[in-house]
Amino acid sequence: MYDIATDHAPALSAAILLLAFSLVFVRLLRFLAGREAGWAVRFLEGFNAASPMAKLAAALMLVSGAIHLALVPGHEGITGLLFIIDGLGFIALALGVSTTTWWRRPAALWLSATIVAYLVWVMAGWEAPDQVGIACKLIELVALGLVMRLKNPARTAWPRRLWRATAFPLLVSLTTIGIWIGGLAHPDALHAHAGAVLQPVASVATPEERVAAARLLADTKASLARYQDPAAAVAAGYKPGPVSDADPLLHFQNQANIGAVLDPDRPQALVYARTPVGLKLVGAMYQMPRVGQWGPDPGGPLTQWHQHEGICFSPLGFEFSFETPFWTCPVGSGSITTPPMLHVWIIDNGKSGPFAAELDKAARHQLTGRS
Amino acid sequence: MSETTATESRIEAAGVLVVLQASLSLIAGLSAIPFGIVEPGFRVLSVLTILVAVMMFWLARNLRRGRRWAWRWLVLVEVLSLTITVLLALLPIGTIRGPVPVLVNLVMPLAVLVLLATASRHAVPDRR
Repeated sequence: MYDIATDHAPALSAAILLLAFSLVFVRLLRFLAGREAGWAVRFLEGFNAASPMAKLAAALMLVSGAIHLALVPGHEGITGLLFIIDGLGFIALALGVSTTTWWRRPAALWLSATIVAYLVWVMAGWEAPDQVGIACKLIELVALGLVMRLKNPARTAWPRRLWRATAFPLLVSLTTIGIWIGGLAHPDALHAHAGAVLQPVASVATPEERVAAARLLADTKASLARYQDPAAAVAAGYKPGPVSDADPLLHFQNQANIGAVLDPDRPQALVYARTPVGLKLVGAMYQMPRVGQWGPDPGGPLTQWHQHEGICFSPLGFEFSFETPFWTCPVGSGSITTPPMLHVWIIDNGKSGPFAAELDKAARHQLTGRS
Repeated sequence: MSETTATESRIEAAGVLVVLQASLSLIAGLSAIPFGIVEPGFRVLSVLTILVAVMMFWLARNLRRGRRWAWRWLVLVEVLSLTITVLLALLPIGTIRGPVPVLVNLVMPLAVLVLLATASRHAVPDRR
């Protein structure tokens, strides 16, 4: 669900480059201090006096600053301007760790303001949450947590201690929820439904593509006629997958067909609906061998593949939930991304059509009595 | 800077990362509750995840207070977490895709382990 936006990718390189540059910078300072350059000596004294936590916070703010500055070319208007201010602010505060004694409070405010601004942008739909943005917030959250722990605990009374203990977990939770709300409220055009990402295709099908899609549907229907009885599918090597109470559909998969690519004679799975009178064959599922490997789409936008990602899968009972934006799953479940798949529904699939990622709600209700 | 201050600083930094991990686990557990309505297994997993998150908050608190048993338990939890992530990453199921899962599931547990290891065990006061 959260990919890396194309114009955000250079920010990752910038962050790595900056860390390398910082190491060179510190070595240069040591060299200059050895030659008794006054400002280098003072800077190094401040740097050496800082605690490892303060140094780590400074490094994280530098990384965040570099990411913001690297993102400026892809962001116009007020967002780009704010990225410049934010990036320079982080670099100044990181340098302030070695040169000032008052950097902690401005750093905490700067980090909090940056995180809150990101949440506002994401929830308003002005920025789509992607992995670079989320990783940057994670870095800022760690930096903020470190800065908050740097305060002298001897000076704090119990309301402040309570605030210090709860503020950070609360901010982490609010950030996670905010990014999640923003992503779900403003999905991009390639999100069919939560957890499914569609193959990028042209917006309109050509006449040739319409013919090819109709041919694929007819070939699939003809091939599947022999599997109306689930026993015939089992005899042909298809094995029923685990049953989930949440899913009225049951997939029968054939491992022998893994290498086939969009072959109507060898679909990777048959899809049966669990109706009150037994299993009813409703379609086939074609699947590519590897994650991220989109299949051929003879029907163009009509035969659009999709892959499921951002899913927490529990092998105990074949159950699913959604990952948080920070890629965490409940204990006992793991994150999975499926290879791209294309469903071909051989029953009337209503408005969604024969190649939709999901069975149409009306068709599902008619078959199973469940919405 | 004295060795004690450096050690305390590392313990504090490890504590911050553990609190962050616990907060992320808490949200993962809470977000699985709605799925528990139709998927009974997730009822158990969501409660288990919330309990693990609470345990990690508690371990972070006791680590800062210099309890050596908290240090030991956190090393165990992080090693376990890292091992499971590496094993899942070896499977072709797309567990680690992009910087966020790398940071959360690999770098953070590794950083906690390094911080705990470098805050030399003898320097962690043993206040049972």
